[in-house]
Amino acid sequence: MGAGTLIQAPPVAPPVKARALRPGRERAFWPFLLPALVAYTALFVAPSLFGFWVSLNAWAGPGSEMTWRGLDNYLALLSDDAFRTSFVNTFVLALAGGGLVFGFTFLSMMVLRHIKGRAFIRSVMFLPMIISMIAVGAAIGFLLNPEGVVNTALGWLGLDPQPWLGPDLVFRCIVGGLVWSSTGFYVALMMSAVDSIPAHIYEDAQIVGATRWEQFRHITLPLTWDVFAVSAVLWVVNSLKIFEIVLAFTTGGTPGSPPLQARTVAVQQYSLVAGNAIPQLGNAAAMGVVVLLVTAVLIALTRRITRRERVELS
Amino acid sequence: MRRLIGDVLLPRATAIALWAWVAFNLALVLWVGMQSLKDSGEVWLNPFSLPTDPHWDNYASAWRAAEFSAAALNSTVLTLLGSLLIVALSAPAAYVLARSNRRVAGPLTGYFAMGLSIPLQTLVIPIVVIKLSLYTFMEDWVTGWWDNRITLLVFQVILSLPFAVFVLTGYMRSLPHEIEEAAEIDGAGPLRAFVRIVLPVARPGVMTVLVLNIIGLWNETLLVLLISPLPEERTLPAALLNLYSSMQYSSDWGGLFAGIVILIYPMIVLYLWLGRRIVEGMTAGIGK
Repeated sequence: MGAGTLIQAPPVAPPVKARALRPGRERAFWPFLLPALVAYTALFVAPSLFGFWVSLNAWAGPGSEMTWRGLDNYLALLSDDAFRTSFVNTFVLALAGGGLVFGFTFLSMMVLRHIKGRAFIRSVMFLPMIISMIAVGAAIGFLLNPEGVVNTALGWLGLDPQPWLGPDLVFRCIVGGLVWSSTGFYVALMMSAVDSIPAHIYEDAQIVGATRWEQFRHITLPLTWDVFAVSAVLWVVNSLKIFEIVLAFTTGGTPGSPPLQARTVAVQQYSLVAGNAIPQLGNAAAMGVVVLLVTAVLIALTRRITRRERVELS
Repeated sequence: MRRLIGDVLLPRATAIALWAWVAFNLALVLWVGMQSLKDSGEVWLNPFSLPTDPHWDNYASAWRAAEFSAAALNSTVLTLLGSLLIVALSAPAAYVLARSNRRVAGPLTGYFAMGLSIPLQTLVIPIVVIKLSLYTFMEDWVTGWWDNRITLLVFQVILSLPFAVFVLTGYMRSLPHEIEEAAEIDGAGPLRAFVRIVLPVARPGVMTVLVLNIIGLWNETLLVLLISPLPEERTLPAALLNLYSSMQYSSDWGGLFAGIVILIYPMIVLYLWLGRRIVEGMTAGIGK
């Protein structure tokens, strides 16, 4: 559930002197907060720091000896082909997928304001968000099988069947599946911002003779830019941890290990940990830290690119 | 020309594409349901026809094949218990964070929100290590046994905390102050005021967080594969993955589709029931 990621914490109510030390809820402050705070610190924050520590060592897991490697794990990642491929894949997925998702989202924003059945369209497009990607992969994998429906249909059209889930094409299918499953979420997000734009602005624009497209470009997009900036950050964060859909699309053809051409960093890290070889936890932990750093950099970059003067409604 | 493209072609094409998208989603869901009632030959030969005579036994064979029965039980218990625990931990914390005048409330809220930007990958290794150590520790020193499903539950809860606290803090802040003041004047202690007054008033927000976590935990896969990979310990998505990868030996396609239905239809029913609330919850605090 990535929603809400990295949006700065909600503003805290300014201290009101007159209400200060309302006995009940102030007395309850620590008792109410501590269970969550302790659990979160001990099992989320501390392990993250421990992960960073492991990434500086060579380690095969509890019971075996940990030896200091410094930054060697990170350097080893640089020369590791499997990691490089999965890293590039993750980037491609984030960029190509992001372009498609927001392309579709923008087009939808142009028409979803007044089309018939708009609420229905919005909710059905959102549907894939609540469905397990493993199930989607298994169902669509059936359609894309070498002797599957899609290839049969291509045959009727006189076209050659394609090995959709083979190593060369599967990555494109994954991008497609990802775009299909996530666009509805971003449409819902952006449309909730569009909904709050007063109708009279559009009426004025119509009087001036602006086309639908121009209304989108000059009204809808500028007035929803804040939400778009947040959505873009969300997309970046979510796309860096893509895992299930890769496994789902590649399991049908090659059980166990997804082909290298389709691996994302999350998948690569998982194969390293769950594979049969002696686990190299230091390496795998370094991957995690790299993802954390890349996430931070991309967020900063996305914020920078999407930063604009805020448009205020008078 | 400008009018033709900006007012007619582009909007029309988009509208058609959107409806095609909608049709595809609906068709896929119905089609999966139909396929689950066919025998394997029919699944292949007539993938788009209605099932001639419904093979309900596909469900029985899926149920047995990949230990779906155990997985379904695990999924149900872990999802319900997990989402209740998440709310039990996050709601009181969010309440005091949102309402307190203490100066630490702000930084602490930010401290929880920070968890939203830590990707799961950073935690994968620590989680595996904790899982292994915890197992040995409990078995050798404390109880003499341990079940990885408990570890799984713990991490499912912990990893969902930042989002739950984030959403609920925002929600609690929007509640009127008068309610618990009235309760206090009546002499209710903080716990009593929280359970009897605040929670009922905050019910829509709490329900949203509950439902979102039900969906999230039900579909969770990576954690399950990392923490409890054994057949009797895994949940439905992992069991389906296993059923799917064993497909080329068993070719029980009807059973595979039955497995898909078992995994996705409960969530679709939930969505039909609470659709708007789910969408609003997921987009809460970001939109508007």
